[in-house]
Amino acid sequence: MRFIHIADVHLGASPDAGPLYSRERAGELWDTFRRVISVCERERADLLLIAGDLFHRQPLVQELKEVNFLFSELSHTKVVLIAGNHDYIRPDSYYRTFEWADNVFPLFGEEMEYIDFPELKTAVYGFSYHSREMADPVYDRAKACGIEPCEILLAHGGDEKHIPIDRRKLAGSGFTYIALGHIHKPQALIRDRAVYAGALEPTDKNDTGPHGYVRGEATEAGLRTWWIPCALREYIHMEIPVSQYDTTGSVGKRIEKEINRFGNENIYKLELTGKRDPDVEFDTEWLAGRGNVTEVIDNSSPAYDFEALYRENEHTVLGRYIRRFSECREGSLEYQALCEGVDALLESRR
Amino acid sequence: MIIRELYIKNFGKFSEQHFYFHDGVQVISGENEFGKSTIHAFIRAMLFGLERGRGRAAAKDDFTRYEPWDNPGYYAGVMRFSCGGRNFRLERSFARMNRQVSLVCEDDGEELSVEHGDLDMLLGGMTAELYDSTVSIGQLKARPGEELPEALENYAADYLETGGTQMDLNRAVQILRERRKAAAKALRIEQEREEEEKKALEQERMYLERDMEDLRKEYEDLSEQEKAAHEQANRRQTDCEKSGGLEHAQGGAEPKKASVKSLLAAGGAGLLISVMGLAWSQAVAGLSKGSNSLPFAVIAGGIGIAGVALLVCGAVSLVKARSRQREQIRKAEKSAVENKDGEQVDFEEKMRRLSWEMGRIQAQFKEKEIRRGNLLEQAGEFRPGEKRMALERRCRALELAAQELLRAGEETSGQMTDLVNQKASEIFSDITCGKYRGMTWDRENGFRVWDGTRRIPADRLSRGTLEQIWFSFRMAGAQVLQEEPMPVILDETFAFYDEKRLQSALKWLRGQKKQVIIFTCHDREELV
Repeated sequence: MRFIHIADVHLGASPDAGPLYSRERAGELWDTFRRVISVCERERADLLLIAGDLFHRQPLVQELKEVNFLFSELSHTKVVLIAGNHDYIRPDSYYRTFEWADNVFPLFGEEMEYIDFPELKTAVYGFSYHSREMADPVYDRAKACGIEPCEILLAHGGDEKHIPIDRRKLAGSGFTYIALGHIHKPQALIRDRAVYAGALEPTDKNDTGPHGYVRGEATEAGLRTWWIPCALREYIHMEIPVSQYDTTGSVGKRIEKEINRFGNENIYKLELTGKRDPDVEFDTEWLAGRGNVTEVIDNSSPAYDFEALYRENEHTVLGRYIRRFSECREGSLEYQALCEGVDALLESRR
Repeated sequence: MIIRELYIKNFGKFSEQHFYFHDGVQVISGENEFGKSTIHAFIRAMLFGLERGRGRAAAKDDFTRYEPWDNPGYYAGVMRFSCGGRNFRLERSFARMNRQVSLVCEDDGEELSVEHGDLDMLLGGMTAELYDSTVSIGQLKARPGEELPEALENYAADYLETGGTQMDLNRAVQILRERRKAAAKALRIEQEREEEEKKALEQERMYLERDMEDLRKEYEDLSEQEKAAHEQANRRQTDCEKSGGLEHAQGGAEPKKASVKSLLAAGGAGLLISVMGLAWSQAVAGLSKGSNSLPFAVIAGGIGIAGVALLVCGAVSLVKARSRQREQIRKAEKSAVENKDGEQVDFEEKMRRLSWEMGRIQAQFKEKEIRRGNLLEQAGEFRPGEKRMALERRCRALELAAQELLRAGEETSGQMTDLVNQKASEIFSDITCGKYRGMTWDRENGFRVWDGTRRIPADRLSRGTLEQIWFSFRMAGAQVLQEEPMPVILDETFAFYDEKRLQSALKWLRGQKKQVIIFTCHDREELV
């Protein structure tokens, strides 16, 4: 039995992707989803497992029809899906009334249920969110019933407010494979057994790193999984270290080089760190002017040697000012105030 | 610290020139352009180095000013001095490509390291700034647009609050406030941008709600129509039941039936009469056995025939009437059914259309409701961006900086003011030969002198007295701020002093047991 496991597709979201890509970003989520469906068709996967948050919010009928059409075109693959915390089943949700194609098997109940596929010797368990949050660790009590040789759990959650997940209890639950969703960063809780596929495409500027889906194969020898990257873009947070010799222009050049190195298709958030020339102020607006940069945060601090300054000016206002901040850590608000004050004092010299 | 010898190898206009100094007061007098300021600058350069300025400032800094014209690669000098009972030789090369410094203790030949702060140790923490603001005294200078008393005030405020540096506390605070203003403005713009975003969401929601309201009205309208149609249909039904077409058709056949009945009755009656006539003629014939019974029989027969004819007529017309009546009823029934069927079809058609429309509206309404819910959710998830948070943080940092700077200033001036006032009073009293008992400075009133009876504000005093206040103030500052007594270097400081006060100033200086170097273009000082 071969399956493809996706999660957190967040159709309908339009994430910030910098001026260049933001407008098309919502469409790109659909594009990648379509691509995965065509992968299912091409590879003749037996099951497509969707571990929640297929939609970013409550799905509209037109969106459901669109998705259902894609599903209905699958000639071999059966689709099993649950609703997550984003597209949870509200009393007025279209999920309740929508009529799916014959090869789609939603597990939209509030209680754990399963669908048996005897021809695949597989049963798929799961239930859906019926509210935005669920603090009860339901999966701790989930147990495989043993009706089929291969039993899969579709699970969504893993943080404090969304069904906390205990790795050891999952390990003892008896499921052959647990297809996890909700955490956007792809990761395996238990190798080949409990895996977060991660968001199919990054849907937030903090979803850094590569994204994709899980391909799995259950044989008599056991179940193996492969994580396949497929996202169009990646969010990259990058530190740009600066030195006393840097200016806005030189930093801009370096940023350009780095972005060319890591790929122009990706979306960047940049943080300037290190010690800058006290006389230089970086123009972050200009630096963020490239199309695929969401923001540039200047966390560099002026290259003052505060100890030396203090030694030389102990009895002056400069020394006393520095002493007032003697306890503060680099990077704190106080440290920032210290830098600003020293800067102003030195600038006030005639 | 006592400067013993200056050996200017190549610096400004001097090359290979030695100047020797001794302890106590000494005067170097010379005409204009003799090089007094060069010597002065050389001492400063030897003590604190000669850093090149950056950018435009470099064009007129001391480095450029005193860089030798003939041989700029050879830009150097030596200073010998004693300090803490030991003698030192300080040698520097200021050249661009060949900057060097060495410090050797002449008593034991020990090499000291300027880089590691050995010279700073000997200078007792004296910095270039402190040197400029205390021991090296020129004339009181005003900035453009500034009156002398004002310059003096500003100088004192800065001096005391910054601890004898050239920093300007008020200006620094001003710089911080300006920066904060700029950051606050950027923050406001960012906040407005976020508001715009929120407003766009709200706008979209409002449009949706308006659409939904329209749909609701449309739906209500349709459901009214549906209700009205139902009512109409009901009314028609009851009408039909009350006075249907069937009764009407039966009523129409009634009169004919009556005439048929009368025909039948007349026939019946004729028949009866003829039977009775025949019976009568028989009875008459039997009684009279004559022939006169015949006419009775004929009459009775005639009546009987007429009666039979009438009866036949009545029967025929009855049958005819019956069949016609049946036909009529059938027709009436048929037309009624046809009529009714047509209305029914119209009604059902209308109802179907209405319910389809209403279903469509309901679906649209729900779709919009879901979208509205999603928009509300999106608005609820709104978080301030990182840029906004960084700006807010910068504002707070700048505010904190200004606050702490003022406190640091208060702390500095609080410790300095009393001490400096006390010492300056002593010096000022000495110089003015006791004419004034003292001088004070505070932030509110500025400088005031005390002549024993009155406190006189500085702006009412003569230039000479202002110069003396300044001198007293700086010398007091030097005493307060210096650990190691430094040579006092006076550059044309006494130009505005009268003989008497010059004398007492020099007398005071001699009493200080310090090395005092006076640069002047007059010979008054030397004479005194």
